[in-house]
Amino acid sequence: MTATVSTRPRTAADQGAAAGEPGQVRRGQPATKIIVTGILVVVALYFLVPVYWVVVAASKTTDDLFGTNGFWFGDTFALFDNLAAVLTYGGGVFVRWLGNSVLYAGVGGLIATYLAAAGGYALAKYRFRGNNLVFGLVLGGVLVPGTATALPLFLLFSQLGLANTYWSVLIPSLVSPFGFFLCRIYADSSVDSSLMEAARIDGAGELRIFHTIGLRIMTPALVTVFLFQIVGIWNNYFLPLVMLSDQELYPITLGLNNWNSQTDRLPEFYELTTGGVLLSVIPLAIAMIVLQRFWRGGLTEGAVKA
Amino acid sequence: MTTQTARTPGPAGGPTTGAAATRSAARPRKRGAVDRAPWILVSPFLALFLLTFILPILVAIVQSFTKVTRAGLFGEEGVTSTFAWFENYRLVLEDGNFVASIWRMLLFGIVQVPVMIVAATVLALLLESASARWPGFFRATFFLPYGIPGVIATILWSFLYVPGLSPIIDVSEMLFGYTPDFLGAGTVLWSIANIVTWTYAGYNMLIIVAQLKAIPSELYEAARVDGAGPWRTATSIQLPLIRPALVLTTVFSIIGTLQLFAEPQLLKSVSPAIDSQYTPNLSAYTTAFAYNDYNLAAAQSVLIALVAFALSFLFLRLTNRSSR
Amino acid sequence: MGLAGGAAAALAGCATPGTTSVNTQPVVPAAAAGEKITLTYWAWLKDLQKVADIWNAKNPNVQVEVSWIPGGNDGGYQKMYSALAAGGGPDLGQVEMRSIPEFMLVNGLVDLRRYGIDEHADRFDETLWSQVGFADGVYGIPQDSGPVGMYYRPDLYEQAGVPVPTTWTQWAEVAPAIRELGVFIDAFALDDASIFGGHAMQAGATWLRSTDDGWVIDMADEITLDVARFFDKAIDDDLVTTSANPFSPGWYAAAADDKIASLVQASWGDALLESVSGAEGKWRVAPAPRWEHGYGSSFIGGSTAAVLANSKHPKEAMEFAVWMTTSPEGVDAMIEHSGIGWSPARDYIGAAREEPSEFFGGQRYNTEVFQPATQQQNPDWQWWPITQQTFNILGDGFRGKATGGTLVDAVVAAEQRTIEVFRQKGLTIRKADR
Repeated sequence: MTATVSTRPRTAADQGAAAGEPGQVRRGQPATKIIVTGILVVVALYFLVPVYWVVVAASKTTDDLFGTNGFWFGDTFALFDNLAAVLTYGGGVFVRWLGNSVLYAGVGGLIATYLAAAGGYALAKYRFRGNNLVFGLVLGGVLVPGTATALPLFLLFSQLGLANTYWSVLIPSLVSPFGFFLCRIYADSSVDSSLMEAARIDGAGELRIFHTIGLRIMTPALVTVFLFQIVGIWNNYFLPLVMLSDQELYPITLGLNNWNSQTDRLPEFYELTTGGVLLSVIPLAIAMIVLQRFWRGGLTEGAVKA
Repeated sequence: MTTQTARTPGPAGGPTTGAAATRSAARPRKRGAVDRAPWILVSPFLALFLLTFILPILVAIVQSFTKVTRAGLFGEEGVTSTFAWFENYRLVLEDGNFVASIWRMLLFGIVQVPVMIVAATVLALLLESASARWPGFFRATFFLPYGIPGVIATILWSFLYVPGLSPIIDVSEMLFGYTPDFLGAGTVLWSIANIVTWTYAGYNMLIIVAQLKAIPSELYEAARVDGAGPWRTATSIQLPLIRPALVLTTVFSIIGTLQLFAEPQLLKSVSPAIDSQYTPNLSAYTTAFAYNDYNLAAAQSVLIALVAFALSFLFLRLTNRSSR
Repeated sequence: MGLAGGAAAALAGCATPGTTSVNTQPVVPAAAAGEKITLTYWAWLKDLQKVADIWNAKNPNVQVEVSWIPGGNDGGYQKMYSALAAGGGPDLGQVEMRSIPEFMLVNGLVDLRRYGIDEHADRFDETLWSQVGFADGVYGIPQDSGPVGMYYRPDLYEQAGVPVPTTWTQWAEVAPAIRELGVFIDAFALDDASIFGGHAMQAGATWLRSTDDGWVIDMADEITLDVARFFDKAIDDDLVTTSANPFSPGWYAAAADDKIASLVQASWGDALLESVSGAEGKWRVAPAPRWEHGYGSSFIGGSTAAVLANSKHPKEAMEFAVWMTTSPEGVDAMIEHSGIGWSPARDYIGAAREEPSEFFGGQRYNTEVFQPATQQQNPDWQWWPITQQTFNILGDGFRGKATGGTLVDAVVAAEQRTIEVFRQKGLTIRKADR
């Protein structure tokens, strides 16, 4: 398993196995192995229980939700009715929310990564006046909580007539100071200046060099920045909450909260909420499990080389 | 971040800039293009950065020094905006609830951040030790919650906290005859901490795992030759070498703590203990959109940013000093 | 860079939102005959579109679209405020009576007297009409309200061997017997001060009054403090639960488990009670217990359809709202589809409400309890520009009860704090002479 996940040649675990000796010593201690694995199983239960619960809850009617034990299925198995209700309620607004989230996260993530790469690369590979000022400003941006800028950004966007539009969520998502920071570090250590020089001698323009050499070499870091930004946008709640008042523009987080907040007056929304949570968690869970192997490459490089 | 730059061989990519200097001296005719290139590359990012970070901060500062007064019963006889000096800041700092919310977040951070980072580190070390079976499965499982937005995680957990719905409470009553109160005045902060830990522990673990995997195998070899057990290996090799990852995750966790918003805002509807100013962000949001006092809210936003900045800076300074 | 440049320009002229008044600008003319317009209405009533559809079928030129928003301060107002600040927003918004002055403070509402609301005034309940009029204007069309009564479980009272209380004194006397069954007589919401406000209103308090020379506050008067002392004692004696607010998930669970004997609440609580699992036939309704002074009932909740400042068609929006809230077909449809609270129409409570209720064991509770309750209201009560903030301050203070504070202290502190907030906003306020 480790071998397939690994992007680096050797891991500690592989190392142990390859060297033979110590691995065998440890394998000779089944007690340790059982204890360690036991701990990990307990922790895994902790991480999985809420997810398991929502699977069970989504299969229940509101009556059963309150009337039967939460860890086991109810009297009527209503999963498919509930999911159908989620997908059709309000003219399929749930699907629209999902689509919006994909739009915000996908477009935002792609452009943000490209812009951060260009900026980080420029700062790392060129010496120019203002270099340090720009870097200092952006570093400050990493430390400023995103939510602290959301309110003033709303006032600003209101003046510009951008509030409550797709742009109001998309534009702030295009900027990733952390990605910029990471790209600068990565470009600094991995993009070889002599390679750039060679390209120049071949007559390549500076932008061409960036697009053909820089971006390619920086790919591992870019994947990390991209994933980081996608998850950041997907999970964002405060910014869309402040910016959007039109339900049609909602991302999934706001939409589900919208349903959840109706439950205290209209209990039938419990079914929609649990079903909606399940539907939105499943793709994310699969994505996380698949993506976690890509996750580390760039970040490790960045953190190690920093 | 200072820690990390201090470890780089040279500032701003030492050898690179040297090379650039010789190159531009040798090839004067391309100098213009080389001078222009970085600005072309950096300007789209910079423009958006100015628009979405610098300008809002300026707007917030301007607003936070403005005061709006109204004449008549509802302001129907005129509304005036005046320069307020530090009046808004004074009001914010005099507001016991807002100050309390900052202290609450500090308490939260002091407990939750170390717990989470320690847990993430332990999990990472266990996963990377040869004693763990199925490390890939566990790694994926622990990481999974990171993909679940805070809002959805909170909806999930709130169902597990609410009496009457929560199977956890039912089970506890059945087995121990004890009814836990997850939403009471003394406990709800830690119920929130649980949600945050649940969401981010796996993510932090993954960063640490990545760093662990980068430790050169020769070091393990050497430790083994010295007869170091797993414990010695962990404390004297692994922990010191994953320091940058620990610093990184801690700084992000500190910033995250001050941003806490979705969790308390959602739990508010099921927990009477959470008030409208439970966290600094909730406070600013309430002030702006429930009380319509954008000026006070701006002052609160500025203060939140300052505190986050100061804390991150302080932490970086501390880690920087102790590493020397 | 162009965008950033524009932003810089905007920054230079950055005005705080909500500082210009729509009511000093010229009246918006009615749409031309034959012109087709669409009105938007943001409301948290469920299925309100079905009500609008009845109107839409008859008024092809004035179509109404309803968008659901979260209830009031759970997010709906925040959305309306931010939309107003952004220069947009719907034509109509659901605004609670108590929130009208707050919307006025940010110039968010249209004065309907400029559009001829006066001719419809006699179609509305008088007490409610008085709560939407301020400073010689009318700022909302009452849409529903909630005269207070007491829902109770006859079986639990019988089991405890005590009578159903008609006064609060009696309520306190019978509560211990009910508590002995492991049942609470009621729940007290520490974080929602509006119910406490309703009790004070019923007891005859008037927290704020507008006068020619500014606001007069009289929140910590003896009447209110008596009410606070009363509930301080009830909580201390563990007669009421403070851990589950009425209609919270915890409360539903407790009610389904027969742990709640009664509930002093507004008429709109009937629909919510019906979602208690297995409650059919178990509940009845009685008039609210009375204080030694004051009135027979109070209003809790109650909302209006208000025309928001950026509406392009205020006149048409008003006409739709009047139709919806006072015409028999509008009222009946709102009861059927949206399950509204008490209709504000002066002489029509809705056909369905005159029938005996199956859920309440055949009781004609609406005509028996709530209709008389609307006639026993405190006519002096007025809402004020920071009602929600006062309630939040009060609620924040009430939470201190869990850690040793008292409701009495919270009331006194909230009065002081309310005065400070008024002054911060530049509004004139003074304490009443006591």
